[in-house]
Parts: sequence; C-alpha cells; structure tokens
Amino acid sequence: MGSVSSYLILSALLFTIGALGVVIRRNAIVVFMCIELMLNAVNLTFVTLSKHQGNLDGEIAVFFVMVVAAAEAAVGLAIIIAVFRSIQSLDTPGASSMSR
Amino acid sequence: MALSFTILALLAVLGGIGVVAFRNPIHCALSMIVNMVALAGFYALLEAHFLATVQIIVYAGAIIVLVVFVIMLLNVKEESSQGRGMLLTTSASIFGIVFLVFLGRLINESFGGIPLPTNLVEGSVENIGKILYTKYVFTFEVAGALLLTAIVGATMLAKRERLVKKGVA
Repeated sequence: MGSVSSYLILSALLFTIGALGVVIRRNAIVVFMCIELMLNAVNLTFVTLSKHQGNLDGEIAVFFVMVVAAAEAAVGLAIIIAVFRSIQSLDTPGASSMSR
Repeated sequence: MALSFTILALLAVLGGIGVVAFRNPIHCALSMIVNMVALAGFYALLEAHFLATVQIIVYAGAIIVLVVFVIMLLNVKEESSQGRGMLLTTSASIFGIVFLVFLGRLINESFGGIPLPTNLVEGSVENIGKILYTKYVFTFEVAGALLLTAIVGATMLAKRERLVKKGVA
C-alpha cells in the first residue's frame, strides 16, 4: 500500500512546484491555477495523515478546503475579469499600476 | 498497489510541471486536469471514496471549467515575455530545491518507513456524512454562508459596469 512518507514527499513536491509557479509565472490565471495546485498538495497531506491517524477529521478538513477553493475560484476569476477590463492585460506586474 | 502509486505519482508530477511550464494558459488548464484526476486516484487508493468523487466533480468539473471559460472569454494568448527573467527563475528554483530537501529530511525523520495502516476507517459517504452533520455541523453552516457570500461578491464584481452607470456603486 505504500508508506506514509512516500505520499508526504509527493505532496511536498507538488507544493513546491505550485509555489515556484506563483513566483515565476506572470499570467494571473496561471498564478491562480498554481495556488490551486498548492491547495491540492496540502489536501493530499490531509488525507494521508487522516488515514495514518485512523479517523476522518482530516478528510472533513479537505472537504472544507474544497468549499473555500470553490468560493475563491468564483471571486478570484471575477476579480481577474474586472482587472482585465480596466488594464486590458493579465500580467501580474501590470496590475500594480492600478494603485496609482 | 505500488504500480498504481508510481503511475499516479508520475501523472500528478507531470501535470504539476505542465501547469508551470506551458506557455499557453489552455495547456496549463489541461495539465491541471491531469493533476486533479491523478490526485482523485490517490484519494481512492487511500480509501477516501467520497473525496475522490468530490475532487473530480468540484475541481475537474467545476473550477477548471470556470478557468477555461474565463481564458476563452478573455481570449488570452501566450505570454508576451519569457516569464520573469533568468535571475528570478534561477533563484526561485534553487530556493525550491533547498525547500524540498529540507521538507524531505523532515518527513523522513518523522514518518520514515511507517507503512499505511490497512482496514481502519473508510471515508465512505455514510461515515463522512455522520461526522459532518454531528461534530462539524456549525462549520458546515458557515461554509454555506461563505458560498452565498462568494456568489453575491462574484455577481457584484461581474456586473459592476451596469451598477456604476446607474450610480449605485
């Protein structure tokens, strides 16, 4: 069935990939997807440790993370559309010009 | 079991790398789906059947469809410049590798060699429902309120122009 540490290391790898994507990429939608990637990596940790502990509390936490991710997707994409309407671009550095 | 773990791990990591590496946002979204489905497979391996189903429905079925819809709506082309420049990319990668080595050592010290327990509790719909509607019922209601707030907020942001014209906001 595989060991606990193999799942956790895979999860750490996915989290690192997501974090690198947030730093490296400029497109706001791709940055958004990288944040979802990090959330998913943490979800895998929750499920693995829930199995390890032998109770369902971790899986409930994953359920609520999914709820928050869905809400975040709705509001985040609406914000991305609003920003695109005002500056005609999706680059994250360009959005800082809105503060002026 | 070991073979399915290897295949799923390969799919998940390749999907994750694809999200970061592809230039076209549509390709990023498609590799995100590969990653999500692989993670659903992991949940099934860990006997969290309810979460495996919800992962497919909510992530691959709703969130990614929303993302693809926005990409199509805004007609996003490939990125104009090559990311953020060499210096930042290199230093971020080095930092990522150091972070990963640190985490790996930490995990090995805490959980090294511990096998996953078998035939313990199963994350079936029945078991999840029981605990969700007893121990976590307040959190469940708060989650409903959060979703309602998100719907209202998203509608406000999307309809802003018309409201500005009317002088409401």
